[in-house]
Amino acid sequence: MERISIAEQAIKIASFKGIDIYRINVDKFKTSSINFFFHDNLTRENVTKNALLPAVMRRGSEAYPRSRDIAMQLEMLYGASFDCGVTKKGERHLIQFYTEFLSQEYIPDGTDSFTAAFDLLCNIVTKPAFENNRFKDDYLMQEKDKLRMLIESRVNDKMQYSVERCLEEVCSGEPYGIYDYGYAQDLDSITSDDITKHYHEVLETFPLQVYLAGNISDRHVEIVKERLAKMARRDLKPLVNGFSKKQNIKPKQVNETMNITQGKLCLGFRTNIEPDSRRLPALMVYNGVLGGGIHSKLFQNVREKASLAYYSYSRLEKFKGLMVVSSGIEFKNKGKALEIILKQLEEMKNGMISEQEIEAAMKSMETGLKSLGDSQMNIVDFYLSQTVAGTNDNFNDMIEKIKNVTREEIAAIAAGIELDTVYFLTAPEQQGKESDR
Amino acid sequence: MNIDRINYDKAGETMFQYQHSSGLKAFVIPRKGYSKKYATFSTHYGSTDNEFIIPGESQATLVPDGIAHFLEHKLFEQKDGSVMEKFSRLGSSPNAYTSFNQTVYLFSCTDRFEENLDLLLNYVQNPYITQESVEKEKGIIGQEIMMYQDDPGWRAFFNLLGAFYGKLPVRIDIAGTAESISKIDRELLYKCYNTFYHPSNMVILVVGDVDPQSVFSKVEAALEKKDAQPGIKRVLPKEPDVLNKNYAEQSLAVSVPIFQMGYRDNLFRGEGTDALMREVAVKLLLDMLAGRSSDFYEQLYSEGLLNSSFDFDYTIEQGYAFSMLGGESPDPLKVKDRFCQMVEETKRNGLDPQTYERLRRSMLGRYMRQFNSVEKISHTFISVYFKGVNMFDYLEVYDRITFEVVNGVFKEHFNSENLALSVIRPV
Repeated sequence: MERISIAEQAIKIASFKGIDIYRINVDKFKTSSINFFFHDNLTRENVTKNALLPAVMRRGSEAYPRSRDIAMQLEMLYGASFDCGVTKKGERHLIQFYTEFLSQEYIPDGTDSFTAAFDLLCNIVTKPAFENNRFKDDYLMQEKDKLRMLIESRVNDKMQYSVERCLEEVCSGEPYGIYDYGYAQDLDSITSDDITKHYHEVLETFPLQVYLAGNISDRHVEIVKERLAKMARRDLKPLVNGFSKKQNIKPKQVNETMNITQGKLCLGFRTNIEPDSRRLPALMVYNGVLGGGIHSKLFQNVREKASLAYYSYSRLEKFKGLMVVSSGIEFKNKGKALEIILKQLEEMKNGMISEQEIEAAMKSMETGLKSLGDSQMNIVDFYLSQTVAGTNDNFNDMIEKIKNVTREEIAAIAAGIELDTVYFLTAPEQQGKESDR
Repeated sequence: MNIDRINYDKAGETMFQYQHSSGLKAFVIPRKGYSKKYATFSTHYGSTDNEFIIPGESQATLVPDGIAHFLEHKLFEQKDGSVMEKFSRLGSSPNAYTSFNQTVYLFSCTDRFEENLDLLLNYVQNPYITQESVEKEKGIIGQEIMMYQDDPGWRAFFNLLGAFYGKLPVRIDIAGTAESISKIDRELLYKCYNTFYHPSNMVILVVGDVDPQSVFSKVEAALEKKDAQPGIKRVLPKEPDVLNKNYAEQSLAVSVPIFQMGYRDNLFRGEGTDALMREVAVKLLLDMLAGRSSDFYEQLYSEGLLNSSFDFDYTIEQGYAFSMLGGESPDPLKVKDRFCQMVEETKRNGLDPQTYERLRRSMLGRYMRQFNSVEKISHTFISVYFKGVNMFDYLEVYDRITFEVVNGVFKEHFNSENLALSVIRPV
């Protein structure tokens, strides 16, 4: 087997005061990048503040007091990018700050782009544009409005919205059911004092991971270590593992209406497989056979054979042990589509999986894993995910594990998959009209 | 075999090129150290080519809207089954896309590259279309069309094109409509295939850690048609020089109005480095006027009229060109008025040379960053190739462009008579 170069591995190069620094040396890209991830538990109490904080922080820092000053500095650095935001992995809530910039060797005037970009990122993260030791009221007010708009605009992307809503329904009452960007009604009461206090809590107590990727010199590593060592840190926040198993579920039906042309049918499942389980690779192959590409049962049967949909796939949320199946269909075909989808799962339970299906799924996953190394962000995300899952695999380890999965192991996975929620996004006039088979 | 090797030192890139007897050119852009190999086989045939004169005929042929995209779907079917299955066995992912001007067939793989390439070269040259499979595809494409009908960004975009143009086919959705695709049959598909899928109308590009010599040998061996074909004449309806309308509106299930506005460009040449120069000039201007470091964006953002979804672009092709700016806003009309005001003020006060210099630098950096991704390289390369240039010609444009050129384009392009607005309002 062709080995992936060791250069695409994340190496932990320092760990102090709850700050872990990883280095991913890879010189095939024209850019390098720096990522900060602050880790929190996903909770209703913090979620909205966590989402609001980076939005306010990107409005300005001491050295770059307005967003446009930050933008100008990025432009001077040959179109470097900077962004920040939140995301969830299972019941972990992550606040990310990121910059990517042309590596020094490609910069015509030879500017030390790493140091310049790191300075900018550090300034934004550690020295916000405070007024009287707290965030500016006008920035806060404006960002509260923006975040409210963002939360409300979830409905604009029907495909993503339906999948997220389905999984939220599966996990209603559990932390995973919390939306990453928080709740509009929780925004109103947040004051400048609240968000400033939260800022200090995040900077001082949230576990922090820093990823340096690209063409990173030892000198740059020293600069980063030295600077981060100066961060004031105290009582590190303990992170909890929020996995919950659920069996013998009575599936629920959730219908939501909107003025739309096409219905979105999403099925949410519990896999009951933990992210650090030895059975995870088998679950991944199971998902690959069911709905992980053009070779899959869903694509072949829902789209190619029945012509019911343009897309039909399944995907895993491995941290929380969930699986979702998604298709865009005509309203009247809900019953038909549901029947075909459930039949595919039933067949897998009964061991009706061909050698070709397993092989195609495995190969496609191998290609996917090898391809991750061609994108800096994907490499970073892979290793970040390993730390959240509590595993320690590289691309090659993962490929090996997938290749070693047996038919029996896939069958055992199939037996444990439980349907939890059938979610249908439909039009108001269609309510009650579609036949549930 | 004659292979040209061209070095682009400024970008630290090399390109290999080979020309087949049919007129087809093939290119390799190496990516040392990359696992992924990305190959494309593209034809200069897209959704806007719905009327044309077949080489050897004298009368124009008019075909239903959406047929180029329909053909793209049908090419995956082969006499001995679906080509997808064969790619799956090799562990690679095949795909295809249709734009206004091109249809692109591609695969990305990490192993067994040569077998994958053989497969791509073979299936694109050998359609096997049955009437039964055409009927079945109508269900799938029908769902694709419906999916886009619920996509507010997509609708805002096409409604703006419909405001710009009353006749040009660019105003119609790439996949056509439920009605237009109902008229598509096997015979029509073959007619389009035979016209546009001649190698002289096509290009092959491989991006990845591959050996150029062996790629070109495969191409040489695989191309079935060896002779050149006379040019295809594309017929475009006569479009008046003025906007079809300056405002379009539609209601959809959205939380906040979504808009696209822009200037239809009437003064341009959609080919060669001239087209690239105009593209770079207008994009620079948009960045100078409304980019993240502009007064305009900062002001409107603070007032709550814009958010970070705001973005802009410029498109230039043979027969049409336009700029577009859009995003979410509680009051798109106000955004448009404020933009016009700012443009008029800038016309009085003049553009700032320092801002120009800073953004030219930024744009050059962003151009370089594309070389990180095999997909982006392919996409950019093909999107300009049929204009008679290649993506490395941008380097020359960045060198040649001046503040004066940009100033001249500023005065031409941002003319309020050519400005239209398209709004998607919440139901």
